[in-house]
Amino acid sequence: MGEILLSVENVTKSYGKNVVLDDMSFQVRQGEVIVVVGPSGCGKSTLLRCINALEPIQSGKIKLNGEIVNPDGKNLTQLRQKIGMVFQSYDLFPHLSVLNNIMIAPCKVQKRKKDEVQKEAYALLERVNLKEKADSYPRELSGGQKQRVAIVRALCMHPEILLFDEVTAALDPEMVREVLDVILGLADSGKTMIIVTHEMQFARAIADRILFLDGGKIVENGSPEDFFEHPKTERARKFLHTFEFNRIKQVHHSECEEQNA
Amino acid sequence: MKNRKKIVALSLSLTFALSMTAQAKDSDDVYRTLDEIQDSGSINIGVFSDKNPFGYVDENGEYQGYDIYFANRIGEDLGVEVNFISTEAANRIEYLQTGKVDIILANFTVTEERAEEVDFALPYMNVALGVVSPDSNVITSLDDWNEEDAMIVISGTTAEMYLIENYPDIKLQKYDTYANAKNALENGNGVAWANDNTEVIAFALQNEGYTVGIPSLGSQDTIAPAVSKGNDTLLDWLNEEIKVLGEENFFHADYEATLVDTYGLDYEDSLVVEGGVIE
Amino acid sequence: MPDLGLEVLFKGKNMVRLLGGIGVALKISLIAVVISIPLGILLGALMTWKNRGVRAILRIYLEFVRIMPQMVLLFLCYFGTTRAFGWNLSGETSAVIVFTLWGTAEMSDLVRGALISIPIHQYESSEALGFNRAQTYLYIVIPQAIRRLIPLSINLITRMIKTTSLILMIGVVEVIKVAQQIIEANRMASPNAAFGVYLTVLLLYFLACWPISLLAKYLERKWR
Repeated sequence: MGEILLSVENVTKSYGKNVVLDDMSFQVRQGEVIVVVGPSGCGKSTLLRCINALEPIQSGKIKLNGEIVNPDGKNLTQLRQKIGMVFQSYDLFPHLSVLNNIMIAPCKVQKRKKDEVQKEAYALLERVNLKEKADSYPRELSGGQKQRVAIVRALCMHPEILLFDEVTAALDPEMVREVLDVILGLADSGKTMIIVTHEMQFARAIADRILFLDGGKIVENGSPEDFFEHPKTERARKFLHTFEFNRIKQVHHSECEEQNA
Repeated sequence: MKNRKKIVALSLSLTFALSMTAQAKDSDDVYRTLDEIQDSGSINIGVFSDKNPFGYVDENGEYQGYDIYFANRIGEDLGVEVNFISTEAANRIEYLQTGKVDIILANFTVTEERAEEVDFALPYMNVALGVVSPDSNVITSLDDWNEEDAMIVISGTTAEMYLIENYPDIKLQKYDTYANAKNALENGNGVAWANDNTEVIAFALQNEGYTVGIPSLGSQDTIAPAVSKGNDTLLDWLNEEIKVLGEENFFHADYEATLVDTYGLDYEDSLVVEGGVIE
Repeated sequence: MPDLGLEVLFKGKNMVRLLGGIGVALKISLIAVVISIPLGILLGALMTWKNRGVRAILRIYLEFVRIMPQMVLLFLCYFGTTRAFGWNLSGETSAVIVFTLWGTAEMSDLVRGALISIPIHQYESSEALGFNRAQTYLYIVIPQAIRRLIPLSINLITRMIKTTSLILMIGVVEVIKVAQQIIEANRMASPNAAFGVYLTVLLLYFLACWPISLLAKYLERKWR
């Protein structure tokens, strides 16, 4: 395992009286893939938004390479360039072509040379099988294609860590796979990522570590084998059970009882 | 149109209110004295640009008409260029009160209310009401009015007001527009039509078979140049100018040059005021 | 063929005068438009800020300019400033000022509407890419807002061109005033001239506004 890249230290986030993240701490090492799971409303998405300083936090610290990420900090835009984020909603810029969606931030924010960025953009598009869509506009793409472009757009900034916020949740089922395959590819190439998802199979396949959140706290923090096979807490068992139940119900009612027995 | 009048009235009262609240301006007068006008080499005269034959613009873009003829003479006698400014009936007083023109020569009827806001010089024209009727039955007097007969008027005009006040027994037929009133007279809906005498005279001249039986009805009003309140040097000069011009019968010449085509020679003496003297 | 009195148009310089009149109307409205659009965008952007003071001031400005009939504003600017401060603005300058104030106010409200119609995640994904606030507006939000604005602002521009007919009240001779002058100068010789002359004025306004809507259609198609 590499160096510690991101550390979340005693972070508390609340909306009025409603505490969403409650004194939360964890660390992400270089090259690590963290999957965050948990029931809806457990604070998963808020966690990612806080890491990217889209939401202010009430106490605690978030550090990237030892630098504090803070919505009011002067180096915020610098830090954000190192944190790539892909959202659940299709968030491409509708007035720009696919290529320009990818190129605008490297060119305007990082002031990199246009030729070089364009070359890289084409290469990345090829990697996600969308090279021929470079000149299309977002409205001409399917949901899965849009999310793949959004991933490329984030990658082209050369982030040190990527945040995925339920990127497949709004997709039609047949498009989920093409997006997840891209993310799996990124994991293989050693990218550091924090992924919020409801796809348990995928979580198990990709994660180095699973964070299970409930009620604004990290309830379990361990390897996917441990979490899925031997959950330590009742809450995690219950959570996993909701997925199990659905799967088994389709097969045989009796089998389900056998397993429980 | 009524709405527009209300808006103009609102505009005027608001500009007035603004001037009341902001007394920042020092005691400098708004107007230019005679000397200042002569020194500047040009005089600003507010005229109508669309009231043929008093003040209008011809097809070559030149100002023409009875008021313009006089304005040009003023410029000549002052030795300055005349700068014509196109004014509307509703903003003539405002132009003088802000000193944006030196003189208004825009068919400006002298009234007591207006005389409180601006200073009128001696008059150079008469206006009154007139009554036009068909040749077959020329109305020459409003006394002994036949109850059965109706008088045509345009709503909101001085003629309507005057008749209601002074001849309450005369039955009125009211029309909104000039064109409708004209049709009504031609169709015999009324026996006669009362309006400004300049209007009925022009009508009778243009339309065969009609006569102005009463060319001058009610109180005589006059038309005069106006200057900003208190601009005595210019006012005195204008009054002197009008008197001197009377000696050469200037306004008769003006009439013959500009109004005779519309009103004919018969009305010259009743419309023109010469030398500022009302007979 | 009914007598439209069209012959008056060919008398002397009448046609040239009418063209000059529409020229005055266009000059004043287009100068005002050119200044209003960037100012309106700036104020519209400020209106979406969280600062309550700024928003309140802009709101008051917008409502004042909008509630006041344009004629009142023209009178205030032309006569009122002379009465109150002794300024002697020309009719044309007053007209440009009033139309700019009005255009900026209307434009800023259109811009505000267009900006708040841009979904929040456009701002967020822009910021997540490292754009600062100004860059987010410049590269992401305003270009999208402008596309939404095109049809609305074309409507505003043509409305501004047509409203220049009011400036005759402050002594500026534009196309309507020239039309009235021509009609009145010929009321004896061509009593029907009003119809023909106003028909011509209508045509001139149309010719002035038509290219603008064509441009708008072109841009809308290009940016779909």
